Amino acid sequence: MTTATTNQAEAPLLSGRHGLGRDLAALAVILVLAVIGYLLFPNNLALLTRIMAIALLVLSLDLVTGYCGVATLGHAALFGSGAYAAGIAAVHFGITDPLLMVAAGIIGGALAGLVCGVVILRAHGLPQLVLSIALIHLFHEFANKASSWTGGSDGLAGIAPDPLFGIFAYDLWGRTAYVFAVVLLAIVFMFLRLVVRSPFGMLCRGIKEDPIRIQAMGGSPTIALLKMYVISGAVAGVGGALNAVSTQVVGLDSLSFTLSAESLVMLVLGGTGSLFGAVTGTIVFMLFEDLVSAANPFHWLTMVGALLIAVVLFAPKGLYGTVAEVLARRRGAGR
Amino acid sequence: MRRIILAALAALVTSAAAHADAIKVGVVGPFSGPFALQGKNFKAGIDAYMALSGVKVGEDDIEIIYRDVPQADPAQSKALAQELVVKEGVQYLAGFYFTPDAMAVTPLLEQANVPLVIMNAATSAIVTKSPLVVRTSFTLWQTSTPIAKVAREAGVSKIISVVSDYGPGIDAENAFKTGFEAVGGQVVEAIRMPLSTNDFSPIMQRIKDSGAEGVFAFLPSGPTTLGFVKAFNENGLKDGGVKFFAPGDLTQESDLPALGDAALGLQTTFHYSVSHDSPENKAFVEAAAKAIGNPTELSFPSVGAYDGMHVIYKMIEATGGEQNAQKAVDAVKGLSWTSPRGPVSIDPESRHITQNIYLREVSKADDGTYYNKEIQTFEKQGDPGLAALK
Amino acid sequence: MQTIFSIAVDALAYGMVLFVISIGLSVTLGLMRVVNLAHGAFAMIGGYIASYAARDLGVGYGLAVLIAVFGTIVIAIPIERLLYRRIYGRPELTQVLMTIGITFCIIGIANYVFGPTLKTIPLPPSLQGSADLGFRSIAVHRIFAIVCGLCVAAALWYAIERTAFGVRLRAAVDDAAMAAALGVRTEVIYAVSFAVAVGLAAFGGVVGAELLPVEPYYALRYMVTFLVVVSVGGAGSIPGALAACLLLGGIDTTGRYLMPEFGEFFFYLAVIAIVCVFPRGLAGRMK
Repeated sequence: MTTATTNQAEAPLLSGRHGLGRDLAALAVILVLAVIGYLLFPNNLALLTRIMAIALLVLSLDLVTGYCGVATLGHAALFGSGAYAAGIAAVHFGITDPLLMVAAGIIGGALAGLVCGVVILRAHGLPQLVLSIALIHLFHEFANKASSWTGGSDGLAGIAPDPLFGIFAYDLWGRTAYVFAVVLLAIVFMFLRLVVRSPFGMLCRGIKEDPIRIQAMGGSPTIALLKMYVISGAVAGVGGALNAVSTQVVGLDSLSFTLSAESLVMLVLGGTGSLFGAVTGTIVFMLFEDLVSAANPFHWLTMVGALLIAVVLFAPKGLYGTVAEVLARRRGAGR
Repeated sequence: MRRIILAALAALVTSAAAHADAIKVGVVGPFSGPFALQGKNFKAGIDAYMALSGVKVGEDDIEIIYRDVPQADPAQSKALAQELVVKEGVQYLAGFYFTPDAMAVTPLLEQANVPLVIMNAATSAIVTKSPLVVRTSFTLWQTSTPIAKVAREAGVSKIISVVSDYGPGIDAENAFKTGFEAVGGQVVEAIRMPLSTNDFSPIMQRIKDSGAEGVFAFLPSGPTTLGFVKAFNENGLKDGGVKFFAPGDLTQESDLPALGDAALGLQTTFHYSVSHDSPENKAFVEAAAKAIGNPTELSFPSVGAYDGMHVIYKMIEATGGEQNAQKAVDAVKGLSWTSPRGPVSIDPESRHITQNIYLREVSKADDGTYYNKEIQTFEKQGDPGLAALK
Repeated sequence: MQTIFSIAVDALAYGMVLFVISIGLSVTLGLMRVVNLAHGAFAMIGGYIASYAARDLGVGYGLAVLIAVFGTIVIAIPIERLLYRRIYGRPELTQVLMTIGITFCIIGIANYVFGPTLKTIPLPPSLQGSADLGFRSIAVHRIFAIVCGLCVAAALWYAIERTAFGVRLRAAVDDAAMAAALGVRTEVIYAVSFAVAVGLAAFGGVVGAELLPVEPYYALRYMVTFLVVVSVGGAGSIPGALAACLLLGGIDTTGRYLMPEFGEFFFYLAVIAIVCVFPRGLAGRMK
């Protein structure tokens, strides 16, 4: 039994021979969900766009936490760096093409990933968590200090992205931003499916299980994890840039401990070590939060707390992880 | 397919508009989380206004829809504003405690044809971001400039400035410095401390070592002001004769019971004191205290919200309930009325509120409660921060 | 010279307050291996109870502290039985999810019951005012906090290292199955340790209330500080936590004196440096 408990759900997927077919199925699921979202909430596309931006952050966190076993409460550093990179490119350098802004976000996020990886990977367990907390506070404080570039606590305002391909403007209803977000999420999701299934992805999982053994086999855990961190940074950077493009303001909250902790909560809620788990956790958490906070803006936090406790009690492997496990068991019994 | 969806969408939007028998006002503020108190005050001010002035303007019912942004989060703020406009069909946006949250919404206004009435967010620049923004609160420049004069008149020529290191803190520092140097004083040192500072003893040591005769301080209202004021007393600065000057955020009424005797004698300048002596304020405080439940929780954001509602009511009157943001905003330019805080008006050019700023001193009432006693009035103060922007 | 002394006194006082508030977390985190992010929530409950007892019921300070400690333990017992028992030995991330959920619930309830204003715990006259140290004055309640911190440290160290209970606790932590086989009732051990940790949290919440005032968001506002201090010290080690509190208190105080505008950088860079040099904490038991 070498697979981790959290990975059991994914195991049957991995053993599937038709990798490509499953990828297409996954793509179809995302696109169908996107269409359903558009039909169900035609007046609330901004929320859905925001969910997708955060989903990119949670996916990126899943890469290092779920697949590599790195404990971090500072992952928003990567997301925020991407957001600020895109925002600064637009405000200070006049790069207002949305695609170029995303590219800037990817670079910013990847660089932040490199920096964070170098520091965070120096410890394990609880001290690692503390390193990540220290890092996110340093990033936050740095952005606060560099207010001539970042706008400080007032936020970086005045980001005015060009219409997408010069045709589709970012409007009040957020349709362009929504479609843009869906396409970005779908591309990233498919890319990540390739990454986690690749030999490199397998190596990372191996490191999570037993780094010493991997080292004995001639692999270099630190280098591999660092690579994963950079990829994770790029993914979070896409999310950050998407946020900057659709919101047109970047605030210090995108580099905050709160966002880091929330993204970890969403990941664990959905189930670590699976891409669908990450997306499920984000969607459920944010829709639930939106629902209860609109119902009672004053005392909704208790409901969110109750949801988290309930998930631990009744779906110990996260929502997606538990469902996938139950399905897998049924299928096993059926055969 | 796409055409069908769009048609369905259009049908939804138009049907929503057709059913709009009540005029909806969307209020975004921190109703939970660390700033829940301020959000609660928004609601108290709005409830008080509607209790005193009725829930109808002409034939139209007014409906308030609240949305929660617990901490500064522009992305969430914008998403909620968009939802309020598109889904709920609000004709007015209001509230906004934090600057970045308000900034995120300004690009929407024109297309949404919705005016934004800011009930708190206090950075000068927001009103310049869109011609559809009106502000009924204050700016740090507005409240911190008069205290410079007060300090100079109290015989202080060398002062040290201590502020929290974030946007409003820096605004306060700049405003004070500009004002103090204009009257011939000298700011010997300007310290910016991180927002997360819990222990202020080292800062007090710095103040002591600087040899300044007085200190100008700004911290966001809430838990840290308690630690700051206590440290000021306990480290012997108060007894050592160092004079204390600050904008009124430090002595907001809801913090006074916790501060207790430690705050006695502190002088602050601010646009509103719950104790302001006028019939308008008496009626307001009574209604707002009823709305908030616990009268000791009443604080300055409530009056920003109250006057914000006044402006919105005037806008609705002027437009007759029809959705026309520019007309609504034009109608309140130059509007003047007597607010619970005193006489106020909307400056036609900046759309920011012109108001009296009061010098207050924390005093103990006969029944043992603490209050801000108004001792001097600076009449008709505009926003010097806008001039500084140019 | 005088300035250096002065900073040292401030650092000691701040460090000891940090110690009193966070040491309970060291017990849950290091000895029970539970990432208890609800620690601050229990400290906050203690603060609220003490504030209510002292202000609204008018009992004395000492009694209010006792009521707070035992009241918090009474509140925590059902939480332990129903919720914490399910997460002993589970993956850390699951524990994080559960304890954050508990924290959210407690914040929501505190906000509903007590409202969002600050609550203070009135000090007795003997703890008010300032004491003169010759070169400067210091608040008496800070001296009180220092003394409390030293007493707690000594008592805990003695209980863990020198008593039969301490031996059983350490045995249960190192190998629960083996300890159970040898007749140690691990469930009871865990319940008692949890009660002690919660009691310490409540005690710290009350003693530290002058520095960290009680309000609903307390539970999350200072969570990071507690977690950092305990981990730097090495979870589960009393001397380690003491050393970490004094060291970090010193760095924080010095940084805020010399360069307040970069205080945050100072503190967190120091944390990174310490963790890199001592990856298991200053005196850690963690593997």
